[in-house]
Amino acid sequence: MDTGFEEKSAWIQLIALIVVLGGYFFVALQMHTGGVHDIRAYVPVFAVSVILLVIVMVFGHIAAVAMTRNDDRDERDNVIAWRSEYLSSWVVAVGVLAAITAMVFGINTVLVAHGLLLSLLASELLSSSLKIIFYRHGF
Amino acid sequence: MAKSKLPINNCIRELRETNQQMTQQALAERIGVTRQTVNAIEAGKYSPSLEVAFRIASVFELPLEQVFKYRP
Repeated sequence: MDTGFEEKSAWIQLIALIVVLGGYFFVALQMHTGGVHDIRAYVPVFAVSVILLVIVMVFGHIAAVAMTRNDDRDERDNVIAWRSEYLSSWVVAVGVLAAITAMVFGINTVLVAHGLLLSLLASELLSSSLKIIFYRHGF
Repeated sequence: MAKSKLPINNCIRELRETNQQMTQQALAERIGVTRQTVNAIEAGKYSPSLEVAFRIASVFELPLEQVFKYRP
């Protein structure tokens, strides 16, 4: 696949988020259905997930640099980054509004926190996906 | 003239071929973008900024409208 560094970076981010944070949400769902309703019980699992995410991203990007002859960023990279962020940022806003609404109705804090986290993850997944689409198919 | 998904077409590929088979990488280095961006411009997947468009025209010593055509 003939790709520049920025496109490789978008692929790495997309895969790392799906695998690592997808894994976290799977474990969190098991915990929640198993009756764990204290938000503090989720913190160690989340911390491990974040550390894993950082490790995967760092090694992924080191590999991407090694496989890319030129890792310069140009105007096309900037336009694609700006456009994908612009088109995905609304997902976080929806998540925040949904979380506030949920708190008003006294929904469990575990669900509110994970709803917020899910909206952040969805926003990043959408952003990375849009970057890849723009790089592969133009805009 | 390369077919484009965008309303701006260009003949950069033909110009490269008639200019001593200039490579995409060589053109990219002269206009200050990556080779992938030159490839995307040629394929009609990206419309460059006015500045980059002028730089491309300058490399081939042609006026801008001979390199890029606007087809709404």
